Amino acid sequence: MKKLLTVCLIIALAVPSLVFAQGSGEAKSQEIVLKWPSFWVGADTKAAPITELVNQFNEAHAGSIKVEIEENPDTDGYRDKLNAQIAAGIVPDIFILNVDPTTLQFFEGDLLMDFTEDLKGDWGNGFLDGTLNAVTVDKETKAIPYEMAYTPIWYNTDILKAAGVDKIPETMDEFWTMCDKVKAAGYIPTVQMTGGTNAWTSMIWYSHLCAALGGPDVWQKDFATDPVFVQAAELLNRMYQDGNTSKDAIGAGPGDAGGHYLAGEAAAFSNGPWYIARVKNEAPAVYDATEISTAPGINYSGAQTGYLLSALAAANTTDPARRAAVVEFMKWMTTGENAKKVSEAAGSILAVKADITSTDRIQTQFFQAVADASFVVETFSAKFPVDVVAEFGQALAKMAQGKATPEQFVAQIASVM
Amino acid sequence: MRNKNWKQICLFLLPALLLYAVFFIYPLFYVFITSFTQWNGIGSMKFIGFKNFTDLFANETFRISLKNNFIWSFALGFIQIPLATIMALVLARKPKGWKVYRTVFFLPNVISQVALAMMWTAIYNADGGILNSLLSAVGLESLTRNWLGDMGTALGAVIVQQLFYIGYFMVVILASRMGISESYYEAAEIDGANVWQQEIHISLPNILPILITSVTLAMAYGMRHFESTFLMTNGGPAHATSVLGIMLYQNLGALKYGVGNAIGATLIVLGGVLIMTIRWLLNKKSQKMMG
Repeated sequence: MKKLLTVCLIIALAVPSLVFAQGSGEAKSQEIVLKWPSFWVGADTKAAPITELVNQFNEAHAGSIKVEIEENPDTDGYRDKLNAQIAAGIVPDIFILNVDPTTLQFFEGDLLMDFTEDLKGDWGNGFLDGTLNAVTVDKETKAIPYEMAYTPIWYNTDILKAAGVDKIPETMDEFWTMCDKVKAAGYIPTVQMTGGTNAWTSMIWYSHLCAALGGPDVWQKDFATDPVFVQAAELLNRMYQDGNTSKDAIGAGPGDAGGHYLAGEAAAFSNGPWYIARVKNEAPAVYDATEISTAPGINYSGAQTGYLLSALAAANTTDPARRAAVVEFMKWMTTGENAKKVSEAAGSILAVKADITSTDRIQTQFFQAVADASFVVETFSAKFPVDVVAEFGQALAKMAQGKATPEQFVAQIASVM
Repeated sequence: MRNKNWKQICLFLLPALLLYAVFFIYPLFYVFITSFTQWNGIGSMKFIGFKNFTDLFANETFRISLKNNFIWSFALGFIQIPLATIMALVLARKPKGWKVYRTVFFLPNVISQVALAMMWTAIYNADGGILNSLLSAVGLESLTRNWLGDMGTALGAVIVQQLFYIGYFMVVILASRMGISESYYEAAEIDGANVWQQEIHISLPNILPILITSVTLAMAYGMRHFESTFLMTNGGPAHATSVLGIMLYQNLGALKYGVGNAIGATLIVLGGVLIMTIRWLLNKKSQKMMG
C-alpha cells in the first residue's frame, strides 16, 4: 500500500511539471532570450535610458528576440561575479566589460563572441577613433566600445573668487599660488584620496601630471626608470603636504573625497562626466560654480585624460540565430541616435559618433574640453592591471606620510608590474 | 561490535558526506592543486612548482599580512574572549537590568558588518569624526589624528572596534556559567570565599571547556579575518592593515588564481597549525588545572 501511494505521489508531482515544461518550451521555442546582467540599473544615471532602449528593442523584436536585464547594482560585486563566472567557463549572454589590461585577458580562448567581421563596414565606422583598437587583441575585436571616460579637472570658481584667484591656473606655479590663496581663505585646495580600489582622484591627478610632464606617449616610457614618473610623484606628494588637501585624504575613499567637493569645501577636483548629475542634484550651488579645465601645463600643456571605460561583450555561441540576435542588439545599442539618447539623458559620453546637443552646461564643457585638448592620454588605471593600480594607492599613502620618497613610490609600484 | 543498522546509518550519512565532498573537499583539493600553477582562470594552467609560494614569502606585503593575521588571531583569542568572560561572569551574578545588558552586548551580532564598519569609519574620520571631536573637547587635541589613515594607528583602530563585539561569545560563556549549580557558590560563601575566589575556583574550572572552544573559534576567525578591514581600509594605508584574506581577494580580482590559491593554501595550513597548537596547549593546561 505504501509503495503504491509513493508511486502515485511521484506521478502526481512529475506529470504536471512535464506538461508545463513541454508547454512553455513550445510557446517560446522561436524566441531567443538574451540575459544581460547590468550595473546600469537602480540609481545609475544610465538606468532609465538603457532600460528604455532595451524595451524598445524587445517591442521591435517581439516573439523573436528578448533581452532581459538582470540587476546587479554593485559595480565591484559585478566584476567579482564576472571574474568567477568566466573562470568557471560560464559567460553571460551579454555583459558590461570594464576595459583594462586585466579584463582584456577574457579575450583569450573562445569564450567571448568575436565581432571582428561584423565591424568591418558601416557599423565599425560609427565608433570614435581608437576605441575599437582598445577592444582588439591579436586582431580580434571581442567587445563593442560603449562609454568613454574623460576625467578633466573641476574647479569651484566660487572658492577661487573668495580666495582672490581670478583665473584657472595654467602652469604649476599658478597652481601652487592658487593653493596658497585657497588655504588662506579657509578652503581645501585639492581633493585627494589614497583609499578605494584605485585611489581614484589622486590617480587621475597623477595621470594628468604624467601627461603634462611626459607628453602624448608618456605611457610608452619605462615606468621603473623614466624620471617623468618620479617628477609627477613629487608634485602629487606636494598636493598632500602643507594643507593642500583635506586631513582625511590618506585612507579616504571616493565618498569622502567627492563629499568635500559636493560640500563646497574644495577648490579643485577630478572625475568623469557621470558625476555631473550627482553634483547637479545634490549640490546645485557647486554645480553652478563648476568650470571644467585641463590640468596645469608643465612640459606639455592642454593634455586631457580619457579612455574607453566600458564595452559590451557577449558569450560566444555556435548557434547562428543566437549570434545574429546578439549582433542585432549590439547594433541597436550603438546607433548614433540611441547613443545620443543615452548621452543626453545620463550625461555620459559614449564611444559612438553622434550629433549630441547637450543642454547641460558642464557636459557641454566636457565635450569642449575634449575637443580642445592638445592630446588625450589614458589614465593610470586604464593603462595598468588592477593589482598595479591597487598598489598605487598603497604606495601613495606611504609617500604622503613621509615614509617613502617619490623614487621609492615609483619603485613600489614597479615591483608589482 | 558492529551496529546491525549500519546500512541505514550509511544511507543517512551519505547525502551529507556527498555534499561535504562536493562543496568542501573538492574545492580544497582544487585550491591546493592550482596553488602550484600560473593560471588566469581563462587559459590553460601552467605548472610552476613552488614558485608562487617562494614569491609570496619574498613579498613584503605578504609578510605584513601574515603578521597581521596572527595579531588579529591573538587579539581576538586573548583580549576579546577574556573581555567576554568577565562580562559573562558579571551578568551571571544577575545585577539589576542584566537581561538588558545581555541584549545590548549581543545586538551588534545581528547588525550588518557593513553598517558597523561604516559607523566606525565615521567615528575614526580625521575630518570631524566623533573620536577626534571628543579628544578635542577634553583638551587632548594633540592626540587627534587620521586614525585609519595613519600607518601607526590604522591596524589598532580596526582591531579595537572588533574587540568591542563580545556579545556572541559572552552569551555562549554565560550559558555555560548559568549551568553551574548555585549550591557550589552557596557552599563557598559559607566557607568564607569572596566573589573573586568563587569565580576563580568555581566558575573558571567549570567553564574551561567552553572557554577553550571560544578561544579556538575566535582565533580561527582572526586567521580568516576579512570584512571590517576590507570595508574600513581595504588593507591600507601602505598595506599596514592588510591581511591574507585581502591579498587573496585582490589576487583573484587581478585574475592571478595561482597566487591567490597559494595564499589560500598557506592560510589553511598555517591556520590549522595555529589552531591545533593552541588547542593542544590549552587542553594540556586545563588537564593540569583539573588535576
